[in-house]
Formats: sequence, C-alpha cells, structure tokens
Amino acid sequence: MSSSAAAPRVGVSRPSAGGLRNVFTSDRPYPLYLAFIALIVYFSFASEFFFSADNFLNIARQTAFVSIVAIGMTFVIATGEIDLSVGSTMSLAAMLSALVLKDLGNSWVLGLLAGLVTGGAVGVINGTLVGRLGIPSFLVTLGSLSIASGLALTVTKTQPVVIVNDSFFQYFGSSIIGIPAGIFWTIVALAVCIPLLHFSTFGRKVFATGGNATAARYSGINTTRVKVSAFVIVGVLAGLAGVLASAQGQSARPDVGTGLELTAIAAVVLGGASLFGGRGTIIGTLVGSLMMGVLNNGLVLTGVNPTIQLMIVGAVIITAVAFTSRKRTS
Amino acid sequence: MGVDTREIEAPPRAGGEPGVALVQCEGITKRFGAVHALRGVGFELRSGEVHALLGQNGAGKSTLIKVLAGGIEHDEGRLLLGGEEVDFRTPADSRAAGISVVYQELSLVPSMSISANLCLGSEPHNRLGFVRRREAVRQAREMLARLGLTLDPRAIVERLPFAYRQMTEIAKALSGDVRVLVLDEPTSSLSEAESEILFEAIKEVTARGVGVIYITHRLSEVFQISQRVTVIRDGANVGTFDTAETDLHSLVAAIIGPEHENLRRDEVEALALGDPKDVNGAGATITALPARRPAADRHGGTPVLELRDVGNDRLVGVDLAVGAGEIVGLAGMVGSGRTEILETIFGLRRVASGEMRLEDRPVKFRRPTDAIRRGVALVPEDRHVQGVALEHSIERNLALTRLSDDLGRLGAFRRGASYDRAKAAIATLGIKAPGPDARVQDLSGGNQQKVVFGKWHDPRPSLLLLDEPTVGVDIGAREELYGIIRRIAGEGSGVLTVCSELAELLLICDRIAIVAGGRIVQSIRRDEIENEEHLHRIVQEAEGTIARPDHHDEDTRPFEEERPS
Repeated sequence: MSSSAAAPRVGVSRPSAGGLRNVFTSDRPYPLYLAFIALIVYFSFASEFFFSADNFLNIARQTAFVSIVAIGMTFVIATGEIDLSVGSTMSLAAMLSALVLKDLGNSWVLGLLAGLVTGGAVGVINGTLVGRLGIPSFLVTLGSLSIASGLALTVTKTQPVVIVNDSFFQYFGSSIIGIPAGIFWTIVALAVCIPLLHFSTFGRKVFATGGNATAARYSGINTTRVKVSAFVIVGVLAGLAGVLASAQGQSARPDVGTGLELTAIAAVVLGGASLFGGRGTIIGTLVGSLMMGVLNNGLVLTGVNPTIQLMIVGAVIITAVAFTSRKRTS
Repeated sequence: MGVDTREIEAPPRAGGEPGVALVQCEGITKRFGAVHALRGVGFELRSGEVHALLGQNGAGKSTLIKVLAGGIEHDEGRLLLGGEEVDFRTPADSRAAGISVVYQELSLVPSMSISANLCLGSEPHNRLGFVRRREAVRQAREMLARLGLTLDPRAIVERLPFAYRQMTEIAKALSGDVRVLVLDEPTSSLSEAESEILFEAIKEVTARGVGVIYITHRLSEVFQISQRVTVIRDGANVGTFDTAETDLHSLVAAIIGPEHENLRRDEVEALALGDPKDVNGAGATITALPARRPAADRHGGTPVLELRDVGNDRLVGVDLAVGAGEIVGLAGMVGSGRTEILETIFGLRRVASGEMRLEDRPVKFRRPTDAIRRGVALVPEDRHVQGVALEHSIERNLALTRLSDDLGRLGAFRRGASYDRAKAAIATLGIKAPGPDARVQDLSGGNQQKVVFGKWHDPRPSLLLLDEPTVGVDIGAREELYGIIRRIAGEGSGVLTVCSELAELLLICDRIAIVAGGRIVQSIRRDEIENEEHLHRIVQEAEGTIARPDHHDEDTRPFEEERPS
C-alpha cells in the first residue's frame, strides 16, 4: 500500500462489501427478486400492453399505499411484532385529515399533519400496550383495528367527507415535480426508512429486539422504546397513506384502508422478513409490494377472471414465502 | 436381550464384571461433505455399566450419538444391538429398539406439568378419550419415586429450577422399555449436590441392567460414576479404558492429543482440582495455582462495588465488596440467591432496602442500561436466551452494547468502527470464526461464550459480573476463558462470578462468598480453603443453617419483558 512510515492502522478497514449489500441481501430474498423478474418477463410476453413505461408507472401508483404502509410494517415485523390496525388507522387518518381541512381553515399543511399525527397517536397506543404491558401485538392491534375503524365511521357518521383544496390535491393526489404523488411519497418514505433501518443505531436496536429481546435487554437496549418507536413509524406512514388516499379520491371515505393490513404484511414477508423478528429489508418489502402489483396488473391485462386472480395471488404468496423464509438448516 | 428391562430384578453386575454387550459400533464412518466427522469409530456398551464418552467439542461425540439415536445414518461400519445388526433410519426406530437420548437442549413442554410431560403421547384415558388426570399423576409419581426424585408431579415445568427440569427430562427418557440411556452433559447446569442426586438416579437405572452412555466435560465425574471410558479425538477412537485403571493425566492427554503439549499442563492443572481421587493431581494443584498479584494490591483502595445490607424480594441483607482487580466467587446451591445478586447489581432487580455503591458513589439502577452506563457488565447464565441473538452475526451481537455510545454518531450507525471493534475482539479473545460476519449459531459453545465476553470487551468494564461463565464449554476453550477473566481482572476490573463448579471457583477466585437463603453467609479468602472438598463442606454447612423454602418457587425468573416498576 503506502509507505511503511504511514502504514495503515491494523484492523482499520471498510466493512466488507459495504452497506449496500446489507440493504439488498442481508436477509437473502434472492428468490423473490428472481420471481419478480420472472413475472415481469412472463407478462411481457403474455400481454402486449404490459411492458410499457406507462403501465409500470400505473403499477407503482396503484401499489403506493401498500408500499408506504409495508415499509413501516417492516420495522414492526423486524422487532418480532405485528400491526393489524394499519388499514383502519389509514381510514381514521384520512377522515380526521379531511375534517381538519373542512373545519379548520382548509390549510393543506394542517390536513397533512392531522393525518400523520392521528397515525402516530395510534402507533403510540399500540406500542405502549405491547411494549409496556406486554400484551401480544396480535391481540392489541386486532382490538385497535376495530376501534380505529369504528371511530372513523363515527366521526363522519359513515359518510364520505368532501375535500376542496387544490394544494392538497396537487401535493398528495396529482403530481409533484412531474412525479405522480403516490410514487413521490413512496420515494420519500424509502429515503427516510432505508437509512433508518439499515444504517442507524436505531435499526440495529430494531433487529436486536426482534432477534432476541432478552439478550437485547441484557445488553442495555430499551426494547420497550424500540417497539413503541416501530409502531409509531408504521402509524405515521399509515397516516400518510390515508392522506394520499383521500387526496386521490377528492373525498375521504371511512373504509378507504379496509383490508390493507393483510396486503402490507404479505409484502413484508414476501420481502424476506421473518414474522419471528430479527430479519427484514426495506427494499425487499418494496419489491414484495411491487410484485403483488405486477401480479394483479398482469392478470388483468392477460384477461384472467378476477375470481381466479384471487386464487393465483394467494398461491404465489405462499410459494414465494416458502422460498424466502424456508428455515435454515443449521 | 429382548427382555423387558423392568423385569430384570437384581443387578447381575458385580464389581467390574462385564455385563452383556448391549451396543456395539464397529468402524463407523460418517462424512458431511468434505468433513470426515467419524473415521472408523468403535464403541461397546455393556449392560449395567456407565460408559463415559469423552472428547473435545467437534471430536465426533455428538455425531456418534446421532448415529445411535437414528438422527443420521452412518456411511460405513456396523451397528449391533444385542448382537444383531441394526440400521436405524429414524429416531423412532432407535427409540423402539430401547435407546433413549437426553440431549442438552431440553425437550419438555414448559407450560405443562411434570406428569403431563411424562405421559405425553401416551396419556392414560377413559373410553371417551378424556385424560385420567389422577391416574397420570399417580404414574408420574411412581416413575419419579423409582428414580429417587422427590418432585411434585403436578408442578409446572417452566417454574422449576433448571436442575429439576433436567431430572424430569431423564425421567421422561426412562419411561417405557429402555435398554440404553444416553446422557449428554447432564450436569452442566447442576450444582454439586444436585449432581449427586442425579448420580444416585443413574445408579438406580444401571442396577436394572440399563447401559448408560455418559458424555461430559467434567472429568471428575468420570471417576465418580463410570466403569469404562472411551475417548474420541478428530473422529477416531483414542482408546477405551477401565476407569479404575486410568488417571486424570492420561485421560486429559488422550482427549487433547499430542500436538497440544504446552496446553496440556494447564489443563491438567485446571482439571486436577476437580478430581478428589487423583492424589498426584492434587499434589500438582498446589503449584499449579495461577500466579496472582499480591493480595495487598487487590484489596487496597476503595472497592469497585459495595453492597450494604441490600435486600429485595429474593435477597436478605446482602453485604459484599469487590475490589479493583479482584475476582470474587459466589458459591451456593441453585436457588440460593447467587444469580439474583448479580441480577440485582445489573439493574434487573430492584434494590428495595440497603445501599449499593459503585466506585464509592451510591447508585440506583432501574434497568440494565443504567448499570451499563456506569461500567457494569454481565455475562448471563443462559447465553442462548440472554447473551446473544443466535441468528445474527458476531459483529451484530458485539455492537449491541455500544449502540448508544461510540458506535452511533447522530443516530447513524458507525459500521466501519463496529467491524474494527469486532475484528479486534475476535483477535484478542481468540474467537475461532471465519470473520465478523459469521453467524453466532454456527460457532461452538466456547466461541459463542467468547462472543458474549466480547460484548463487554471494549471499553473494559469496571465491574464484570459472570454467571456460570463456562457452562457447555469444552476444556480447551474453558482454559482460554479463564485467561480472559484473569486478564480483565489484571487490568483493574472487579470480577464477581457465580459458578456451580467449585473447582473452577477455586481456580480463578481470590475470595469466595458463600450464598444461602438469599444472604451471604460468609466470605473466605482463597488461600484459607484447602481444596474442593473443603469448599463443598462449607457450602453444605451454610445451606444447612438456612431454612430451605419449597424448591418450586426457587427459580423465579426476573420479569420476562421490561416493565415500569
């Protein structure tokens, strides 16, 4: 290397293969990437409309809600927990955001904040019940799913709330600097969450909590705080998805997020995360979400009967998960 | 040998007279890819004998046992049971032939009672298929009584101390028609007294004609209970000896092999203390005591840790001081409060009364984070549950303790620094691994434990707490761990260690505090203790002075999840 006088300090080195490897492959979702590419190739041959920039943009836009929520869900699942309430959180956030726009001066900033704060608040409640009281997250969020959903219906008397605010539509429903709003906000979520999960000390704590919570606690990690934070992250992102959904529809419907939680969880698990915690990548989750988008879109374009589509989607999920989360034999 | 062993009444075994050959292995080989795990192993087990199987981790003991248990199939060689060649394809085949294995990992259902576990899969039931609980409890009580175990069959397994879970496991392994019992390190987590109970149980079993294959790392036990010993090294037999005609030195030499000449002396020293029979070994012990700095150095100045009349739900008025550079041992039975003292210091339990002082300043820890911040480190008892995330890499595990400190900068994880730190730990602690990215679960027990030590390696803690630091670690790595502990103390850390192996305490400690009934009964300088037997007696006497609580509530774990308290 350099002269002997300036010999490099022993042991100082760059991490092998760098952090990027971590982002993509640390949890080996290679089979997912292969399946993803295989699906794209297949549909490109099967339908003349599939392989086009317009169609790809279409897919990305359609999957934006799921992608954004699933990115947050990756944190929760990596800590070894689960959040079933994200769909209704999204609905509730959409409703409160719309009500704030309608009744509190029609400011798009306030509308956005209302959505995010609502989601974050649900996250704090979920996380506190799970982390502090030790109630299983499956049960806690099954309960909050119902509560948030009921609340969304109650505050709006089950009616959609019409939104009249051009800036709000512009930023969340139409496009920003030429990028469709859904895709723009997905990119924002990625830009924040990839560093957070894969390059921050918080991310390490998330994986440690999911990998072995007791060992993490014995190492001085406040696992309660880590879990609460993870639930807040997914809550805020569900709030964002709610805002996007109401801006896109120009009115907020109280059932806009219904059922989204299962799709989001499927995307995370497809992306190579373990439901037992300790493993997962944001990119994997994104690909998982896009893959389901590609599948739905491709099946429509190739004229498959919608009732058959449902079954095919289910079979693909199970097959892909069987490959990605097959238990390592020691 | 097709006879139901339960019908064999009187043991035919008389002093050293060989029984019938139960199991014969001839030239067993097994390859895993390029690895030659077994290269022509021969082994014979006779009826009514305890046959110790020795060897370092990775020598091939486990593989041989797996072949016997039907877990893996051997490539070449013959396996004979009662003189007839057998070919086990599944564990069920082996079990049906009367071979029962108790593995280190327990196979009980923790949430069920002892009796439910004992009759799992063959519950006594009535015609409608309902379980006859009373009958199940009665059967379980009988089984336990036959083994001399005074356990309540209705006790829930997860609330039992580890030692009793182990015994339940053995009772379970012995249910049904068992001719061969394989015990894989059954005493690794037992105290001396509990080991004695276990040995009694083993004698009961062999008296009925059952052959016992006994795997252990504690050579003193070999002389205590076995009639013959087979040593395996690098997948091949070194030899089979009559226990009465061999001694510790030749066994250690056989285990370690000729290429570790210089290591051997240390290990004989380490092990000699554990062997009450070996007169030569005991002689060597006195000179073999590690050269430690003069006591004056260690006891001077203010202690690193001071407990003054500390009490909580498990402890009663504990007084204890640990000086800088001093290694203090806590000796006592399982459930005496040894572990609880460490947990209280580490902030896992609250100090309800009394005072804890660290480097002459009063401290109150509400959680481990508080303790870690003040330079306290804990190597916990159960490394798989409390020590490491097995699926994660060495580097990930080592980083855990420093995330909120030097490995973070404005929330960003300093990956490069963490790798450097991991490489340094691997080098200094001699962790045998391909690199920082190796998964902890792929390492041997000794190397996993070094990873746990490595978590606290840099910066050096002011107080290092060790709970059974060498459980499940082979003798080579064990000696290395002693070296690490001594070095840390030599650099000025106070060390407080809990250990069930009294020989080990005598080997590494400057002072030993005797714990019984949640209090420290007395504290003795190392040089005031003659030998292991002496210490054993002191512990026994201490325990005798304390009214023992019902053992079922002895081992209450600290809260499972962190809660506000």
